[in-house]
Amino acid sequence: MAEVCHHCGEPLLQPAVRADVDGAARGFCCEGCAAAARWILDARLDDYYRLRSVPAGRVDADAPALAAWDREELLAGHARAVEGGREITVLTDGMRCAACAWLIDRALARESGVLDSTANAITGRIRIAWNPALTTLSQPLARLASLGYRPYLATGEARERARRSERNRDLLRIGLAGIGAMQAMMFAEALYLDTRGEMPLPTRDFFRWITFMVSTPVVFWAGWPFLVGAWHELRGRRLGMDVLIAGSTLLAWAASTIETVRGGVHVWYDAAVMFVFLLLVARQLEQRARGIASAQVDALARARPAFATRELADGSRESVPLDALAVDDIVRVAVGEPVPADGVLLDDDARFEESLLTGESTPVSKHAGDAVYAGTACREHAARMRITEVGAGTRLAELARLVETAQAHRPALARGAERIAGWFVAGLLLAATAVYLWWRAHDPARAFEVTLALLVISCPCALSLAVPAALAAAHGALAKIGVLSVRPDALDRLARVTDVVFDKTGTLGDGKPHLQGVDACIGIDADKALCIAAALERDSSHPLAAAFAHVAGVPTAANLRAVAGQGVEGMIDGQRWRIGTAPFAIGQDDDGAIWLGNAAGARARFAFAERERPDAARAVARLREQGLALHLASGDAAAPVARFAEAVGISDAYARQSPEDKLARVRALQADGRSVAMVGDGLNDAPVLAGADVSLAIGDGAALAQRAADLVLSGSALGNVPAAIAIARRTRRIVRQNLAWAVGYNLLALPLAAAGVVTPWLAALGMALSSLAVTANALRLTRVPSR
Amino acid sequence: MNILLFLIPISLVMIGAAALLFAWAVKHGQFDDLDTPAIDILRDDDVPAPQPPREKAGDDAD
Repeated sequence: MAEVCHHCGEPLLQPAVRADVDGAARGFCCEGCAAAARWILDARLDDYYRLRSVPAGRVDADAPALAAWDREELLAGHARAVEGGREITVLTDGMRCAACAWLIDRALARESGVLDSTANAITGRIRIAWNPALTTLSQPLARLASLGYRPYLATGEARERARRSERNRDLLRIGLAGIGAMQAMMFAEALYLDTRGEMPLPTRDFFRWITFMVSTPVVFWAGWPFLVGAWHELRGRRLGMDVLIAGSTLLAWAASTIETVRGGVHVWYDAAVMFVFLLLVARQLEQRARGIASAQVDALARARPAFATRELADGSRESVPLDALAVDDIVRVAVGEPVPADGVLLDDDARFEESLLTGESTPVSKHAGDAVYAGTACREHAARMRITEVGAGTRLAELARLVETAQAHRPALARGAERIAGWFVAGLLLAATAVYLWWRAHDPARAFEVTLALLVISCPCALSLAVPAALAAAHGALAKIGVLSVRPDALDRLARVTDVVFDKTGTLGDGKPHLQGVDACIGIDADKALCIAAALERDSSHPLAAAFAHVAGVPTAANLRAVAGQGVEGMIDGQRWRIGTAPFAIGQDDDGAIWLGNAAGARARFAFAERERPDAARAVARLREQGLALHLASGDAAAPVARFAEAVGISDAYARQSPEDKLARVRALQADGRSVAMVGDGLNDAPVLAGADVSLAIGDGAALAQRAADLVLSGSALGNVPAAIAIARRTRRIVRQNLAWAVGYNLLALPLAAAGVVTPWLAALGMALSSLAVTANALRLTRVPSR
Repeated sequence: MNILLFLIPISLVMIGAAALLFAWAVKHGQFDDLDTPAIDILRDDDVPAPQPPREKAGDDAD
């Protein structure tokens, strides 16, 4: 078993960072994790390591720029005044379990000027109240970032409040329904126990009126969402689940009220309230599982205070919000920052990573006058640019529009349960009419009562519980393996999948260049070339430098000089060496490779390639076992794509695919009647994610991709794709069993009711048992399958 | 059976009280976070930790 980072549990790179933590030397994957662990220990918060149930997220060693958080225009919209200071809600994507929330609370409490803080691990939100006189907001946020919890902007104060109050109203409805249902059943009990009809009529009616009083608010206030939903469905000329639910609760309540006034034989108040209560709980469970997922994804998509650095005419700089940028503004982009808008480069030369936009894994060299696009990241050194397009005109906005249209043209999905509900309602009305007419002819006095009993006992409770209960359980199981399901019908779509299309860069591969080897040497052996290259690259911030980090026995280089965008030169053993692009190192035309040369000319060429994620091949194999056809579609060049397809074992691979090409590819598959799942991570995948039948986005990919996807894999474990598909298929099976059971129960109960032998207590018992059976069956889904 | 006339209103009052209590708890955020308090009790937090040493400036790793 490979050694893993003490803090985040990722496999250690060599050489690992060593630090003395917790009374023992521990290994860390990077400086960031080591620093976080040291701080946690110094602050005597090391219980965190004992309390946590999952490893922390990886900590970035370079602190994000948080200065934007102190700007008044940002705080004005997001913070509110509280006693002694201000309060803001921020989001973070690093909270994995309750121990994280505990750690955040304690860590913030130790920051000076923080008045109060509450972290909620479920929603990923942190509320911080601070005293502006004592500290700026960026101070405590910097502490959060150094522990690996990067702050993002939440949706603004008003929305946060709306979200909370809506959730509270739902809880209140459930609570009231629960209390009311219990009481109503208690009074109903008194009526049931009067089996021989010895109770004096006034007492009986007194009980009935009291039950009426208790159950009316439950039906109309707690059950309000169902009534509204039913109204909408009826206005849309549909017979769906809500019509069924609202119809049967109203029917049971109205029938009982009529019987109470008439002094009839039976009342069914308890059926009505129990029904409302059970369904509210099922719905809440399902929504909660999904709501958590979508709240996090949605908010991260709008993340981060967005500011750009504008250069004024006199050369001074100011930081402005993105929407204040105009065409022809001069903007500076710092290293690692995203480009704020489309424009042209003013510097002679700079490098941009466009992988999120094009899928190309190596940074692209640009020269003065070349176009740079919003959403790409600046690499190696800062760049100046002049803006040519802002907002809706940018390539990024174009992709976002493509996402929207693709989503609008999704293959529609027949809602199985809804259809069954429609049939059920229609069939029930027919049966009720027939029974009523028959009894009218044979025993007019009992016709009304028997028909009511029939309608009540046919309780669609089990039917309406069948789907939400199974979905709630399945979402729980998905969350356990780290898959967030964002859209309501994601599971249903996932279960039908026949083909899976993978993106390459950042999805099957890790998006970082790795040294493949020395593929050409001239008068020098490969090991020596590697040593020299490593010596030159040792202190460079070049993205390729990390690829040489594992080389051992490195000589020392003197007079190192880095030429931005070109390479590095230095003296080793009295010889001048250069490593970098072909024009710089060996004075030949650029062929995209990295060369090593000295005064005598070219000496070696290094091959770099993206490496596949460790679990890629296994995930692909498992998907194939599940009987799925696999494809690879990437924006990268043909050679790396072919090599990759070979490595993970996918035969059907396409290179140089633009977002539009990928979408066309998926459309073609769909035209053949296939149902396509897309797995991707980048902006260039967003349209195809939105257009596929079902889509999974990698958790550390682009926010736009996550917004376009149905499911988001937290982290990058590809093994979750086959696991999620397995859960989806099991869910479909369980839903079918549940529906079969509900229909079977009705086939049994209806004849009994039609024969007029069903009393209310029998109806209540039957309802309870069938609902329990359905729920218990759904709970089988919560067992997570072995990976 | 007259006792019922007394007992049932009492039970109704109790329902009302329970409902109000629940509403109060929901409104005051008692159900906002059901996970963190569970592990809060696993340690005593009576020692205010010493101010952690300020990290050395300028150890940014880029």
